[in-house]
Amino acid sequence: MIAKVVSVARWEYVEKVKSKAFLIGLFLTPVIMIGMGVVPTLLITQADTRTKIIGVIDPSGVVAQPLADLLQARYRLPDGSPNYILRPLTAGTSVDLEASAAEADRQTGAGDIEGYCLLGRSPEADTAIEYRSKSVGDIQLVENLQQALRIVLSERKGLSMGLDTSVIRALNVKLDMKQIKLSKTGEREDSSFLQVFFRAYVFLFMLFLLIVTSGQLLVRSILEEKSNRIVEVLVSSCSSTELMAGKVLGLSALGFTQIGFWALMGTIASLTFGIEFVTPGIAALLILYFVLGYLFYAAVFIGAGSPLTTEQEAQQVTSYLVMILVLPIALAFPAMQNPDATWLRVLTFIPLLTPTMMALRIPIQMPSTWEILATILLMLVSIFFAMIAAGRIFRIAILSTGKSPKIAEIFRWAREG
Amino acid sequence: MLSVSALRKEFSTGMAVDGVSFEAAKGEVFGLLGPNGAGKTTTIRMILNILVPDGGTITYDGAPFSDDVRNTIGYLPEERGLYRKSKLLDTIMYFASLRGMKRGAAKSAAAAWLARFSLLEFRDRKVEELSKGNQQKVQFICAIIHNPSIVILDEPFSGLDPVNQILFKDIFHELRTAGKTVVFSTHQMDQAERLSDSLCLINRGRVVLGGTVRDVKKKHGTNSLHVEFSGDGAFMSGLPGVRRAILYENAAELELETDAKIQPLIGAMNGKVDLSKFELVEPSLQSIFLQAVGESNAASVPAAVAV
Repeated sequence: MIAKVVSVARWEYVEKVKSKAFLIGLFLTPVIMIGMGVVPTLLITQADTRTKIIGVIDPSGVVAQPLADLLQARYRLPDGSPNYILRPLTAGTSVDLEASAAEADRQTGAGDIEGYCLLGRSPEADTAIEYRSKSVGDIQLVENLQQALRIVLSERKGLSMGLDTSVIRALNVKLDMKQIKLSKTGEREDSSFLQVFFRAYVFLFMLFLLIVTSGQLLVRSILEEKSNRIVEVLVSSCSSTELMAGKVLGLSALGFTQIGFWALMGTIASLTFGIEFVTPGIAALLILYFVLGYLFYAAVFIGAGSPLTTEQEAQQVTSYLVMILVLPIALAFPAMQNPDATWLRVLTFIPLLTPTMMALRIPIQMPSTWEILATILLMLVSIFFAMIAAGRIFRIAILSTGKSPKIAEIFRWAREG
Repeated sequence: MLSVSALRKEFSTGMAVDGVSFEAAKGEVFGLLGPNGAGKTTTIRMILNILVPDGGTITYDGAPFSDDVRNTIGYLPEERGLYRKSKLLDTIMYFASLRGMKRGAAKSAAAAWLARFSLLEFRDRKVEELSKGNQQKVQFICAIIHNPSIVILDEPFSGLDPVNQILFKDIFHELRTAGKTVVFSTHQMDQAERLSDSLCLINRGRVVLGGTVRDVKKKHGTNSLHVEFSGDGAFMSGLPGVRRAILYENAAELELETDAKIQPLIGAMNGKVDLSKFELVEPSLQSIFLQAVGESNAASVPAAVAV
C-alpha cells in the first residue's frame, strides 16, 4: 500500500521537478519579486555614488551662484566630493532663452548633464520653475534641488523685505520626516509605506505563483493520463486512493521544494544585503500559511481538474481559480489603509481566501492571535474535507472520458462518493 | 488461470456485458473476439478492476481480486499512450514499481527487455522522440516486465507494423510456454485463428461461441473440398455429402455436409475425371463468426422490437 503511494509520489515529484514550467517558476519568481519589490525601493533610496552635473538657465543672473554654493555645501558624496555641480548655461538678463534651452536640451540628450533647471526672470515674483531631464524618476535629486531652491529664493525675498541674513537662515528649517510603523503591541519598525506595500505584495505573489504553477502541472498531468488512457494502467496497478495520495504527496514535496528554495534565497539575500525583510517569526508564520494553502488548493485542483477532458476546459477552470487567488492583490491598498477593517476579517475566514488574505495581512499588521489560531484550525478542517471530496470526485472522474460531467454531477460525486 | 462467470455491466446507454462467462487456462493464449462495440473492452476493464461489475464473479488463479492480484496482472490498453515527456527507462521503471517490483529488479528486467526489443540505446530518450512502433514496444514491455501470471492485451496488434507483429507473436508463444495465461482481444478473426488456443466470441454483450479453436470449427463449421482435375466435373454437385458445388474450368469448390465421408467421394471422382489436386479445407473462423454474429443479431431483433 505505502510502497505504491511512494512510487506515485516519487514519479510525480521527479518528473515535475524536471519540467520547464517548474524550473522557470522556481528561479524566475524570486527574480520577478526582487525586480518588482526590492530593486525600485533600493534604487530610489540609495545614495548617489558619483557627482551629478545639473544645468541651470538663470535669466535673472542672481540665483545660479547662491544655488551652486548651497548645493555644494549641503550635499556631499561619501568620498567627500560634491554630490551636485551646477553648470550655469547662461548668465545675465539679456539672454536668448530659446537658444539657451535648445543648447541645454542638446547637452541633456548627450548625457553631459543630468538635466537642467529653467528659472524665472524675476526671482522674487516668478516662482514657476521647470526642471527638465531625460528621467523624471530621480526623486532624490529633484527633492534636494527643490529644497535648495526654496532656501535661495526665500533668502532673496527676505533680503528684499529688509530681513537680516541670520534671521532668514534661522527661518529655513531643514525637514527630514521619517515614517515609523507601529505594531499592535507598540513596537517600532523602521519601514516606509512603500516597503510595507511591496512586502505584502511579494508574499501574496509568491503564494499565488506557487499554487498556480503546481496546480497547472497537476491538472495537465491528470489530463494527459486521461487522454491517453495511462490512467487505466495506473488504476489497474493501484487503487485510486493510493494514486491520489501519491499525487498529493508528490505535489506537496514539489511545493515544499519551491518554498524551501525561496526561503533559502530570501535568507541569503537578507544576509548579504543586511536587510531584514521580515522577522523570522513572521517568515515562519507565512510559511505555515503557504503550506496550508498549498495543500488545500492541491485538493481543489484535483477535484476541479480531474473531471476535465480537454485542455481548453483546464485553462478555463485554472483561470477561475487564478481569479480567486488574485482577489487579495486587488485589496492590498484598502487593506493597508485600514488593516483592522471588519470586511478584511470576514474575507480571511473564507477557506479559498484564507491563505492569500493572511499572506497579505501579516506583513501589513499582525492579526490577533485568536484569528491566527482560528484560521489555522479552519484550514486544517477544510483540507481534511476537501481531500475527501476530491478523492471521491477523482475516483470516478479519472475514468470518465468523452464529454465532461456537469457541475451538479461532480458535486453529487463529492457528496456521495 | 482466469475464470469469468456470469459477468454483467450496465451503462446508462444499455447493457454492455450481459452474462459473459469463460475460462482461460494457464499456458494458453485466449482470444476474446467480437465486432467493435461487442463488450470486449468493458469485460477487460472489469477483469482489471477498473470497472466494478454489476454482477458475476472473476477469479484469478482461483482467488478473488485483491491488492496482491494487481501485481500478478499485466495490461496493455487498447488506446496507446505513455508519458510523452518522460524518459524510456524511467517510464518502464515506474510502471514496474506500480506492479510491486523493487527498483533493482525492475532496472535489470527493464534493461533485458529493452535489449530484447533493440531499444537499449534509446533508454535515456524521451518517449515522444521515439517512432510509433517503438512506443508500442515500450508499452508492451510495461505490460509484462513484472512477470505477471495473467497478461491481458486489448487489441495488441492494431496499428502494429509487420515486423513488430512477429515480435509480439514470438513473445506470446514464450509467455504461453512459461505457463502464463495470455488473454487478448481482437476483431480480426484471421489473427485470432492463427494465435489462440481457445477463444470466446462476444456479440452485443453475450457469448455467442466459445471453446478451443478446433472444437469451434468442428462444431460450427462445414469443411469444403477443393479439387483440380481434367475432364467434365458437372456431376460433382450430385455426389452424396456435397451440399453445394462451385465449378470452374478444371477446378471445383465443394461445400460438404457436416457428416460427409471423404473416401467415397474420392472414389466416385476418380473414375470420371483425372484428379490432379485434392484438398480438404477447414472453415475459417471468419466465416463461422460472420454467420454466428449474423444469427445472433437476427435472433435479438425481435426481442428488441418487443421491448
